[in-house]
Amino acid sequence: MTTQLFEYAPSSPDSLASTERDDPVHGELMKLNMGPQHPATHGVLQLKIDLDGETMHNIDPVVGFLHRGKEKTCESLGWAKFFPHTDRLDYVQPLMNNIGYALTLEQLAQLEVPERGQIIRVLLMEISRIAAHLIYLGTTAIDLGAVSIFFGTFKERERIYSILDAYTGHRMNNSYVRIGGVFADVDDQVEGMMREFLNSIPASIDGWEGMLTGNRIWYDRNRNVGTITKEQALAWALTGPNLRGAGVALDLRKSQPYSGYEDYDFDIPVGTVGDCYDRYLVRIEEMRQSVLIALQALERLRTTRGGEFLAEDRRYVLPPKDKVHSSMEELIFQFKIVTDLRLPRGEAYHPIESSKGELGFFCVSDGTSSPVRCHIRAPGLYNVQAIPAIAEGRLFSDMVAIIGSLDFVMGEVDR
Amino acid sequence: MVIIKRKELSFIEKLYLPQIFQALSHSFRAMFQPRITRQYPEEPLPTNEVTRGQPRLTLLEDGEHLACVSCGLCEAACPAYAITIDGHETERFIEREPERFEIDMLRCILCGFCEEACPKDAIFMSDELELADFSRAALVYDIDKLKRPREELQGRIDYFYQVNDRWRTPSSTS
Ligand code: SF4
Ligand code: SF4
Repeated sequence: MTTQLFEYAPSSPDSLASTERDDPVHGELMKLNMGPQHPATHGVLQLKIDLDGETMHNIDPVVGFLHRGKEKTCESLGWAKFFPHTDRLDYVQPLMNNIGYALTLEQLAQLEVPERGQIIRVLLMEISRIAAHLIYLGTTAIDLGAVSIFFGTFKERERIYSILDAYTGHRMNNSYVRIGGVFADVDDQVEGMMREFLNSIPASIDGWEGMLTGNRIWYDRNRNVGTITKEQALAWALTGPNLRGAGVALDLRKSQPYSGYEDYDFDIPVGTVGDCYDRYLVRIEEMRQSVLIALQALERLRTTRGGEFLAEDRRYVLPPKDKVHSSMEELIFQFKIVTDLRLPRGEAYHPIESSKGELGFFCVSDGTSSPVRCHIRAPGLYNVQAIPAIAEGRLFSDMVAIIGSLDFVMGEVDR
Repeated sequence: MVIIKRKELSFIEKLYLPQIFQALSHSFRAMFQPRITRQYPEEPLPTNEVTRGQPRLTLLEDGEHLACVSCGLCEAACPAYAITIDGHETERFIEREPERFEIDMLRCILCGFCEEACPKDAIFMSDELELADFSRAALVYDIDKLKRPREELQGRIDYFYQVNDRWRTPSSTS
């Protein structure tokens, strides 16, 4: 084999300056696949990006890697058996999804939840919201380089999981909500744990804010990055903190109150510019408001002690066990509800304000034991949709901040 | 509605130096805080009667027969299709008992719907959580692996009934 020798020829300054040397791809854009296994895409999201140097063009989010057919599963499994599946939609706030689904079924069945049941639900929803926002804060901070914040938020989130463990017996995937209320009452021990947590978390939030809000790096990487105008946000059907960060004061807890939210005293934080920094500030403030709501709910729990928390309705709610043992009629109800729970003919859509935005289940019933159609309006999908419009023309390093601040969970986006 | 205030950086904050020291002091303080991580296999999470572990079948007082009458309600309630039951006739008073009762632990999601559905107090969530074996077949538990004397599950049974007691105020009618 002969070796070919290349002669080293120093190029003249003229040829170096030519466009060909400067731009080896001749003005073509570089195709970059970000994800689906990229740690900063918060799950299995793939982004196809055309890069011009560091500038992004033609961003194409590819969703569906985590598709498990939840909607069709609901249609084949039946009404009550779908509850554990809702846990696995947005898995950082399982109880919120449970409640959203239960509210839809209750709307369909025209079932009234007892007062204490509603208070417990509000409490669980606000605790879940704090847990979800803690995940947002921790993961976004670690993506932008602030590792201590991540450990701080996960430490606090661990306490929420201990509370849920003491209440439901599981740390995640709780499935503790039933049609007509919740499975178990909140007892003194759990109440005490919640009170202790809610009293100490504002100090931790202040601590994180002190470390992030005035931090030069956090500030530069979030400020005027990923700006969404009001019009854009509405056009892309964004909801939740992303919409409020853009300056639209729309919160379903205020505009269409459910579960007695109209009786609670709280504010909805609204941003002005609509960049990542505003969305961060909105979420931080939302956590504080959630603490206020949860404390009010705890106060109400005290006044309704011993009240019912599960509706009394033999068409949809299982009878108490001791009665099942002693009465033939109740035993028949038990069999009927477990094997063939039927909801009246009709359709229902009940949106709730989840931590990501408007979470709604749309169910069509033909009067049989499973829905004809179950559609899940997952706020995460709409957040992902907005990425191309927001990130077009920005630097590639901004993508991480944008993905983090839009805050979606792929379990819900792909369902 | 509150409009949140956007912070403008002061001169000192623009220098970034104070933040470095603030973060360093945070890290140093964290060194002396109690540890929150756990050495898992040696230090498992404490379990109690609220814990929803794997479902187990209870035995009657005689310690020999299952309380189950193979009615199939748990099978119907299971959202993961984890339970398989074949029943047959028996000479005993309850007339039917399971010939085969299998729970596929790989499918079970520990939701507790079977416990809630059972009309005979025959299946309860234990506090057993760990699950490991060398083959999939070994993780489909049959009656021998599932049965437990009632005393072992007594804590959970009492808790379940306590939840039931609180379930309805005495004045409510059915
Ligand atoms: S706990 Fe749930 S998944 Fe497991 S066997 Fe019981 S009903 Fe099925
Ligand atoms: S519901 Fe209870 S009695 Fe019926 S088959 Fe299941 S374990 Fe047996």
